[in-house]
Amino acid sequence: MVVSTGGAPVGAGEDGAPGPVPPEPGGGTRRQVIRALRAGVLAAGLAPALAAFRFPRPGPPPTHHAPDGTAFDLSHRGHRIRGVRTAAPGAADEGRWHVTVDGRPLHLMRRADGSWLSMVDHYCSYPTPLAAARAAVDALAPGDRLRDEEAPAHHGTGRRHEHRGGRHGVRA
Amino acid sequence: MAYVRKDAATLTATEKRRFVNAVLEVKRRGEYDEFVRTHLAYYSSDGERGLRTAHMAPSFLPWHRRFLLDLENALRRVDSSVTLPYWDWTRDRTSRSAPWTDDLMGGNGRSSDHRVTTGPFAHAAGNWPLTVGVTDAEYLTRDLGRRRAPIDLPAKSDLEWALKDPAYDTAPWDSTVTRGFRNKLEGWGTGRGSASWRNHNRVHRWVGGVMLSAASVNDPVFWLHHAFVDLLWSRWQRRHGGARYLPASPPGSGDAQRGRVVARHETLPPWDVTPAELEDVSGIYRYA
Repeated sequence: MVVSTGGAPVGAGEDGAPGPVPPEPGGGTRRQVIRALRAGVLAAGLAPALAAFRFPRPGPPPTHHAPDGTAFDLSHRGHRIRGVRTAAPGAADEGRWHVTVDGRPLHLMRRADGSWLSMVDHYCSYPTPLAAARAAVDALAPGDRLRDEEAPAHHGTGRRHEHRGGRHGVRA
Repeated sequence: MAYVRKDAATLTATEKRRFVNAVLEVKRRGEYDEFVRTHLAYYSSDGERGLRTAHMAPSFLPWHRRFLLDLENALRRVDSSVTLPYWDWTRDRTSRSAPWTDDLMGGNGRSSDHRVTTGPFAHAAGNWPLTVGVTDAEYLTRDLGRRRAPIDLPAKSDLEWALKDPAYDTAPWDSTVTRGFRNKLEGWGTGRGSASWRNHNRVHRWVGGVMLSAASVNDPVFWLHHAFVDLLWSRWQRRHGGARYLPASPPGSGDAQRGRVVARHETLPPWDVTPAELEDVSGIYRYA
């Protein structure tokens, strides 16, 4: 047995041990995508969908789905769920979504069967990003809210320094 | 001399007190939150790129085995008499049975906000603030059995379905495989709804609250649950004549899983250890 009795299991990548390869579907992090969106670098095909969802409305929103399935905006159990597919047309991975609950980012991960799981409900997956977001709202404790953060990024990178920076949808 | 991990339902009052105190001390030292971060960092999903080690992968079992040993070592630096107890969720199946007692894990979250208000990890006691999490709540939350739409813990038949499979795992070594002990125990099912949450995954869901989230390690019952999962690996090995971890060698060139799973003799990040080296831990601990 070579199991050591060392300290807390941190520091992969600091000691030269191979860490997980950063999963970056589509060739960029979600953070880069959001940054690009904020900078106004909108792919032409996205602009109409985003325009429809840009402005917060007072009161509960009507259930609203973009006709081409690239966005949704609805109220579920008193929480506002919004989602926009952010992959540029022609991108290798068209499945990148930016989903928020009450304006705060809900990180989604993709399973090999194409289904989705969220940071709140992490041990089950759902057929669509909207279904995963509804399930996350269902699993959220009454009165609790997603962690607020400026810019979301994929949390599964194994880059510890980023975790300590608290930029993965995680209070760190 | 190997130490013994015991069924949480059989611990003496002194054993429970010493275990709880060691967990609280590891938390107080700031070591505990590193475990929460590590599990978050290594939970990679199989629909995305990169190496998977902790979940949706054959190394689910050795990864958590080593993760538990690290926590257990941290506890034993505080109190060398302490070992990880396990929660046998095939026997202790209600929100009032072990380990949900005031002298161990504390009870269910209250209905208004799912906040745990009893036991040593209740927020009001001041010893268990959640500092790493996916929501704003700084208190431990649980929703045992999911009150709004009740579900049961895995049945013995669910476990038997996993344990009787003679293959450790099968290609493509991910969450979509329908054969092999590893995924049947980890519990990624096909299909929708309740039937798709099996065994390990279903227990996370049954506990609810932070145990269902990516920061599940925040609930100390994480360790009791995974100690039982770890016991089940040993039980499966015995039943199948010492059957080995698979894959024995890395997927070949051209295989979509190449570089995405850890083979028997490859290093298992974040540690300098291989699954093969974690298959037999009888020199370290055994289960009572």
